[in-house]
Amino acid sequence: MKALFLGGVAADTYAGIKDELPAGLESTVIGEPVDRARLPDAAIDADILVSNHWRADYPPAPKFRLVQSVATGTELFELAALPKGCAICNSFGHETAIAEYVVMAMLALHHRFFQIAGEFRERGSWATSWVQSGKPHGEVRGSTLGIVGYGRVGREVARRAAPFGCRILAANRSPRERDPEVERIYPLAELDRMLPECDTVAICTALGPETTGLITAHRLALMKPTAFLINIARGQVIDEDALFAALSGNRLGGAAIDVWWQYPSQDDPNRRGSRHPFHELPNTIVTPHNSGWTAGMVRRRWDEIADNIDRFVRGDSLINLVTTT
Amino acid sequence: MKTVFLGNFGARPGVWEAILAKTTEKLDTSVLFDLGDSQRLIPALAEAEIVVSHIWKKDFPPAPRVKLLQSVAAGIDLIDVPSLPRGVTVCNVAGHEQAIAEYVILTALAWHHRLIDIATAFRGGVWSTGGGAGGGPTHGEIMGKTIGIVGYGKIGREVARRAVGFGCRVIGANRSPIADKGDASEIYQLTEIDRMLPQCDVVVIAAGLGPETTRLIDARRLGLMKPTAFLINIGRAGIIDEEALYTALKDNKIGGAAIDVWWQYPTAAEPNRHGSRLPFHELPNVILTPHCSSATDGARDRRFSTVAGNLDRYVRGETLNNIVLQT
Repeated sequence: MKALFLGGVAADTYAGIKDELPAGLESTVIGEPVDRARLPDAAIDADILVSNHWRADYPPAPKFRLVQSVATGTELFELAALPKGCAICNSFGHETAIAEYVVMAMLALHHRFFQIAGEFRERGSWATSWVQSGKPHGEVRGSTLGIVGYGRVGREVARRAAPFGCRILAANRSPRERDPEVERIYPLAELDRMLPECDTVAICTALGPETTGLITAHRLALMKPTAFLINIARGQVIDEDALFAALSGNRLGGAAIDVWWQYPSQDDPNRRGSRHPFHELPNTIVTPHNSGWTAGMVRRRWDEIADNIDRFVRGDSLINLVTTT
Repeated sequence: MKTVFLGNFGARPGVWEAILAKTTEKLDTSVLFDLGDSQRLIPALAEAEIVVSHIWKKDFPPAPRVKLLQSVAAGIDLIDVPSLPRGVTVCNVAGHEQAIAEYVILTALAWHHRLIDIATAFRGGVWSTGGGAGGGPTHGEIMGKTIGIVGYGKIGREVARRAVGFGCRVIGANRSPIADKGDASEIYQLTEIDRMLPQCDVVVIAAGLGPETTRLIDARRLGLMKPTAFLINIGRAGIIDEEALYTALKDNKIGGAAIDVWWQYPTAAEPNRHGSRLPFHELPNVILTPHCSSATDGARDRRFSTVAGNLDRYVRGETLNNIVLQT
């Protein structure tokens, strides 16, 4: 049996799990940038693809039976280019890291952490301190957190936020069983009823037809003018122009943005994440799509991928099956 | 009932009015911000039955009628107890513990996730300080980490409750024995702190300042901590040896620190005075905040309600809350 590890993340994954792979599995690794000259030979007889993408203009891969994504999102696999009967599985292990990021961002925004710590370090300014008659900052306790997309990440966020004494609401596309931490789960179609209640809105959905452009100018306007928006899902869930307008016009309290509308490319490695200067807004925390990128996440994800390859080789049922072509 | 709001806490504009607005009983109130104004301090203290202040100085003029000294802070380290008249009940306030617990979890998260470095670099357009899309190094998580809390009181318990939600193990050390451990898995005697420190990924100083805690964290104890350990001080600066901590951070003997309480404070002459004579603000592995971990709107409101409630109780002759001591 043969496996093709394709792309930079897959190459790192191979290095991390090669000792755990089933004996007899023949692996080919094509890292970043993808060497197209090596691709035809590697693709023609591979049974397993481990990658984050597959393109329609790639050479034939008639034997693929397992496509193991190294990420949770599988939107970069062009399904029409894959053979029929191929199982597409994704991988997780990031929910702990991202849930920590969401709670951290929520705390940092309410506590005005960057402003206070920044001014104290750079200017020695005590002005923000209560000791010096400064204005009090906010706290998470007693505030309402709305989680858009109550999946693995959303649930982990709720579990961590509840001991802070927040009220927790959620909205989800499909009906979900309510955990005790959550007061109410709205259908996604009733999101407009949830948004005005929230002091913090955390976007934790997958990107799909129902969530692309979900957070429009209209929905941003439904939020409190003091509310904070946290996006760890995908940039495209939020209308880029509308969010920039709301933040720069102080019609929102602030935001923490980890996922972007555009990414660096080989030609433009320092490309900003948006055509708007979100990085110049004082009320916005910007991070480079790394909320899930912890050492713990990488290890957990590698273990899941190694486990699934092992299951496939042994003919066991697969974990994290997204779809079958 | 003669009541005087005193000093830069009790008599601060915005504070005393907000407290009075929450009282229901009638008080005969005066307000004195400047403790050095003896012309006004002498008559005020001569008549007052209630004093709202977090300060009582040795050289205060006689206060023969005072019965209640109600602080608007938790710590009573600025109250010179021996110079209080006999028969005074000293009460403090809480309500800050939830705010401080949020700060502790925030800084522990920010440190492990390298939030300040990554977000600051990304503001400048650099993707690669964080991993993920930028292909940089991974950062840490707090899941599975051991958090050691020095001084397991109200704040410590609130920290513990939140930390276990993240999958942390919480241990603590306390001066007096603790019957109910709350969310902590083990509480050491303060005298056994040397056994606790080597286990901790995060050490939180949440103790009050007293004889047992002054310079508790010295060079030797910093040396017992893991070289990756993160130290958070929201107690009082005097609990930590200033030079020893600076050296440990500068030489990377410990991982980093979040410091909210300081060895020195700004003065009227020097409003931007640094919190230490050593340049902590130049160290990259330190998160510095200006003694504001408790300064949330919620904590203020809870504190003011506590003070107002106690003033009302005193006037009505009811049992007081938050009694610290009686002279």
